[in-house]
Amino acid sequence: MNPVTRRRFLVLGGTATALAAGAVGGLAWLRGAAPDVAGLHVLTAEQYRTFAAIARTHLPRGGAFPPGADDFDLARMFDGYLADQPTTDRHDAGLAINLVEFGPLLFDHHAVTFSNLPPDAQLAHWSGWGTAQQQTRREIFWSFSRFLGLTFYDHEAVWPHIHYPGPSFARLASRPAEAP
Amino acid sequence: MNDVLDCSAGEFAPNDLTCDYLVIGSGCGGGTAARVLAEAGKDVILLEEGGDFVGPTRLTQRDTPMYDQLYTDRGGRTSKDRTVNILSGRVLGGGGVINACDVVPIHDATWAYWQKHHGWSEFSAAAMASYLQRALADLSANRIEERQVNRNNQILRQGAQALGWRGELMMHNRVNCQGLGSCLIGCPASAKRNPRMVAIPKALSAGARVYVRARATRIREAMAERKRVEVQTLDGKGYHPVNRFAIDARHVIVAANPVGTVALLRNSGLGNDTLGRHVSLQPQVPIVALMPDPVRAFDGIPQAYALTEFERHDPDVGLTGFRVESIFGTPGVLGSLVGQPGAAGKALMAQLDHVAASLILIPDQPVGQIGVRRDGRPEVDYTLAAEWKTRARQAIKAAAQAYFAAGAKMVVVPAAPPLVLQSTAQLAQIETLTFEPGTISLISAHQQGGARLGASDATSACDLTGQLWGTRDVFVCDGSVFPSTSSSHTMTPIITMAHALIDRLVARSA
Ligand SMILES: Cc1cc2nc3c(=O)[nH]c(=O)nc-3n(C[C@H](O)[C@H](O)[C@H](O)COP(=O)(O)OP(=O)(O)OC[C@H]3O[C@@H](n4cnc5c(N)ncnc54)[C@H](O)[C@@H]3O)c2cc1C
Ligand code: SF4
Repeated sequence: MNPVTRRRFLVLGGTATALAAGAVGGLAWLRGAAPDVAGLHVLTAEQYRTFAAIARTHLPRGGAFPPGADDFDLARMFDGYLADQPTTDRHDAGLAINLVEFGPLLFDHHAVTFSNLPPDAQLAHWSGWGTAQQQTRREIFWSFSRFLGLTFYDHEAVWPHIHYPGPSFARLASRPAEAP
Repeated sequence: MNDVLDCSAGEFAPNDLTCDYLVIGSGCGGGTAARVLAEAGKDVILLEEGGDFVGPTRLTQRDTPMYDQLYTDRGGRTSKDRTVNILSGRVLGGGGVINACDVVPIHDATWAYWQKHHGWSEFSAAAMASYLQRALADLSANRIEERQVNRNNQILRQGAQALGWRGELMMHNRVNCQGLGSCLIGCPASAKRNPRMVAIPKALSAGARVYVRARATRIREAMAERKRVEVQTLDGKGYHPVNRFAIDARHVIVAANPVGTVALLRNSGLGNDTLGRHVSLQPQVPIVALMPDPVRAFDGIPQAYALTEFERHDPDVGLTGFRVESIFGTPGVLGSLVGQPGAAGKALMAQLDHVAASLILIPDQPVGQIGVRRDGRPEVDYTLAAEWKTRARQAIKAAAQAYFAAGAKMVVVPAAPPLVLQSTAQLAQIETLTFEPGTISLISAHQQGGARLGASDATSACDLTGQLWGTRDVFVCDGSVFPSTSSSHTMTPIITMAHALIDRLVARSA
């Protein structure tokens, strides 16, 4: 991350983390405690809840086809992914998640956090990250949406709905080999 | 014949090793170097930080595990401002394992440009012809046949032809291709004649020792007759350090891809001020078209046809203009480009079998810089030039025009929000693309420069034999040696150059 961007990111993310910790004005109640989640490696239960809400917003159930992010627990996959990442990346990812959680408060000045918004408002808020003035927010949007798109559409339960027949090697046996 | 030695395996007990020639990185440059040296009777060790992936049980055609294991930083490396996703291989065989197999040699005009403007006096097209022939032989280069052209490629060609634009079926390095379509995450049918399938087996047969999951972390005593290279072994996943050992080598050949090469040399305290500078990322813009009939672009050779009408070769500028090439991949990678949240993004992906897609390859000037952060990890600083942005907009317009001429219902440029065009009447909207960081998803597959060769240490990082200035027998032999972008595709240029540089090294030692 660019030093300028990174500094700005750390300030923004740090602010959100401070809010998360309730250090500024005791606002942690806004977010509320998340239920315990067993087996997490990197994310806290609150961060897991936020990422699951982002995933659900990005890839909701229904619409063009039934499965959505909630069917595959993409937040746990993200936690597993982070477990193999260097420490700075894990730290940055945590800050980014906190920033999204407190996004409605920091950027829209609404006294509510992302996980507590109704689904329509979550979609409007998250879509706004892709086109936001702040470069940091756009970068976070792309990072998360890349991860979500990759893992969701790599799932075999999604393939019939996007007319993808699955890995072709398995279909190879029925096809004659080409001449060299 | 030696076997590949996997340092992550339980029984591997690192002892310090000795060799005459240590090659770091097993891709197009390093794989070729190890093979030529070993066949010349030299005592060679080849180190690779990635794992060894061959055959259908390891190359599973699944996005998540394959990006995780075959790509540097799991496919997540970006430029500092995150505008460009910098893709490169991290596996035995390097980028050759995950590339699209296009064979495009260095154009005569580019050799002329380097001779005239970069002091590459010894490297004329004529002088390099025999090395190019060797590279083409290594690759079993052959022209893609008409029967191998899938619907996705036919559509782009149809559009180009309707507009009277020039294009061609490309040369490639596939033999016995089954048209499985997953070239970008490895070929389970072993159809690619890449370094893993050609150079590395030959190097092993000739006695080279090959270690995987072994990352070189530092080169010490670079001015001494014998260098000491520190090596970190990695676990089976390739992301956690396990052990350390050292290699005592007379010659060290660094071929770790421009980003990896510069990072290793800088972390070793080596190189002059030019090291890390003049980096070309050759950013590519993806574009997709929704067609009225099924395309099923995921089946067949992904990249067969290139629209070359607008590509320019100039002995005073090098490669410029742009080209458009059809491409497709597995669903995960396409899904990762959809920057539209909610039901709208899903609706787009639900039409996957009706989607045609291309990459627009827009050569750049070498304006980037590779540095290392405090934690030793590389950082690529790259700002898109205004001239590149202008050319990119022209290129996107041309690609969109070609798709509409082929009957597309809609053309989409993956951006946030996506730029959606319903007809040629809307082409002017392309002018609104600013390419500001975080507004569009660009891809780099052809990183070059960073350790350019030259006649003077004031303007280059290595001399014309590839030796890093200020060292004794530390050489660079990969995509970082080029003074500017070498070709629209870099595998063949790098293999050509590796043959030339290593031939000189062998001749010198003889
Ligand atoms: C998705 C994609 C598609 C492409 N398509 C084409 C195409 O169709 N045609 C074409 O001509 N080119 C293509 N290319 C580009 C081409 O594959 C690369 O330019 C080429 O492989 C680079 O060769 P190299 O020797 O410089 O490095 P690489 O081939 O990248 O090899 C470098 C190796 O060094 C290893 N390494 C790095 N650091 C260390 C270390 N410290 N210790 C040990 N090992 C280390 C890496 O793991 C890697 O395996 C494509 C590239 C990509 C990413
Ligand atoms: S198209 Fe399929 S069989 Fe052919 S090289 Fe690519 S992955 Fe291998």
